[in-house]
Amino acid sequence: MSKTKTQTKEENKTPMVKIYIMGSAHEVPASLTIMKAMEYAGFKFTRGAGCRAGFCGACATVYRKAGDYRIYAALACQTQVEDGMVLTQLPFVPAPKGKYDVNKVSPTANTILKLYPEVARCLSCNACSKVCPQEIHVMDYIQYSLQGQISKAAEESFDCVQCGLCAIRCPAEIPQYHVATLVRRLHGRYNMISPETLEARVEEIEAGFYEEGLNELMNLPIDKLRHKYYHERDFIDQKKA
Amino acid sequence: MVQYSYFPGCNLKTNAKGFEETAIAVSKKLEAELVEMPKWNCCGTVHTMTSDNMMRRIAPVRVLSRSKKHIDTLEEGTTKEVVTLCSMCNSTLKIVNHEVKQNHEDLEKINYQLEEDEECYEEDMEVKHFLEIIRDNIGYEKLSQSVVKPLEGLKISPYYGCMLLHPDEAAIDDVEMPSVLEYLVESLGAEVIDSPLFKFCCGSYHIVDEEQIVDTQVGKIVEAARLRGANALVVACPLCAFNIDHQQKIMKDKNHGKEPLPVFYFTQLMALALGVPLKTNHFEDHHIDPKPLLKELGLTGKKKS
Repeated sequence: MSKTKTQTKEENKTPMVKIYIMGSAHEVPASLTIMKAMEYAGFKFTRGAGCRAGFCGACATVYRKAGDYRIYAALACQTQVEDGMVLTQLPFVPAPKGKYDVNKVSPTANTILKLYPEVARCLSCNACSKVCPQEIHVMDYIQYSLQGQISKAAEESFDCVQCGLCAIRCPAEIPQYHVATLVRRLHGRYNMISPETLEARVEEIEAGFYEEGLNELMNLPIDKLRHKYYHERDFIDQKKA
Repeated sequence: MVQYSYFPGCNLKTNAKGFEETAIAVSKKLEAELVEMPKWNCCGTVHTMTSDNMMRRIAPVRVLSRSKKHIDTLEEGTTKEVVTLCSMCNSTLKIVNHEVKQNHEDLEKINYQLEEDEECYEEDMEVKHFLEIIRDNIGYEKLSQSVVKPLEGLKISPYYGCMLLHPDEAAIDDVEMPSVLEYLVESLGAEVIDSPLFKFCCGSYHIVDEEQIVDTQVGKIVEAARLRGANALVVACPLCAFNIDHQQKIMKDKNHGKEPLPVFYFTQLMALALGVPLKTNHFEDHHIDPKPLLKELGLTGKKKS
């Protein structure tokens, strides 16, 4: 029995690596991401996992590598395991969030400082930029927001997925990713030119232009609705297109 | 044309827009253009002066490192000078630059933190206030030759505050008898009114918690200038400007101030004399509107009514 088992293993030849999850050793296939490797090892995610495609920012993780003093950070669904990795998964990043009505604040540095006074403590150490899995220049957008350059801050922070790793590393305890949300809201509300077509469409909707058609659909019996949805709609044939 | 790497500092983008915009406009006219460095961070002001707090010195050293990189990208940037307008930034950067040049071990520690950002400071920058550039590089002669509208009728009392003259590492002029603002005002065709309170503290950050102190200080500074016949003050520091300008307004509203004197940044006076468009001054941000005085003297670009 034991002989046959060894043979199967050799036939498969899946390269395996040894990783340490919260201190205990596990053998996992080398091709897996951190997230899948943890599941392979028997862990089940109830927090700290989301879209599994690198967009939602729920799976922030920290790890170290064998023989390397540095602490690394990444999104677990986007990062492949390496031999000797010591890792864990972060279920949540606690960070205070300012409360505001975006219509009642101004797009200035004072708004930032009122809601997030910690921003003024920034040391420009750049630890936040170094840890960012999206490679955003986090420190630079924090500085822009401190300088009242709201639009620049909004653009610099645009790719943020709110994983919260920056807030964990910050020696000044700034919740950078919440500041980023604030500057983008201010930018959208006050600095961007509002698209005319969108405004026109919202006006149409508010004036009840689509009310009739919507009511008609809402009152259809389920089988007719199904027929409309699957057979009467204009589908673009992906193969022909 | 020479180009300088210019470090703004936060105030120049918020409370002192007129200071920055006039400075850039006149720098072009004087062929010594201030070019804003990209991605600058806080100078690190109000950093603790405990000499072993390296964390607090990362910010100013990063500014020096990035300004060097910026100069390398400038077409006409032949200097090794980073230019500031705010006297606080000037002071902080100068002091830290001096410190790290003296203490190589400290600089090594700070550079170690910058290493991963592919930045490094090699002790090869000089921090200059724009006033120093005007005095030493441009020269008052060139300045007065560039004047298109002499500021006749303006009687200006120069107010230095503390940061331009203290401490030694940051001083841009003689601590007891400074002259850089005086020569500048004269070059523009205005009259200089000397005041003994030219560096009497404006109250500084007490504006945040002890406004009464600022009241007293500003009252004395303005009164000393007024008694000697001044009709305006000139400053170089956004905090001095805010305190003197804003607090005169408060005192006037409380009915215990006299007719207030408008406060100009030195670059605003230059802009007026060099024919830069009036809107560059952002006088709407001032609490004491200088426009009525300028109008009375026929300096707004419009004819006397």
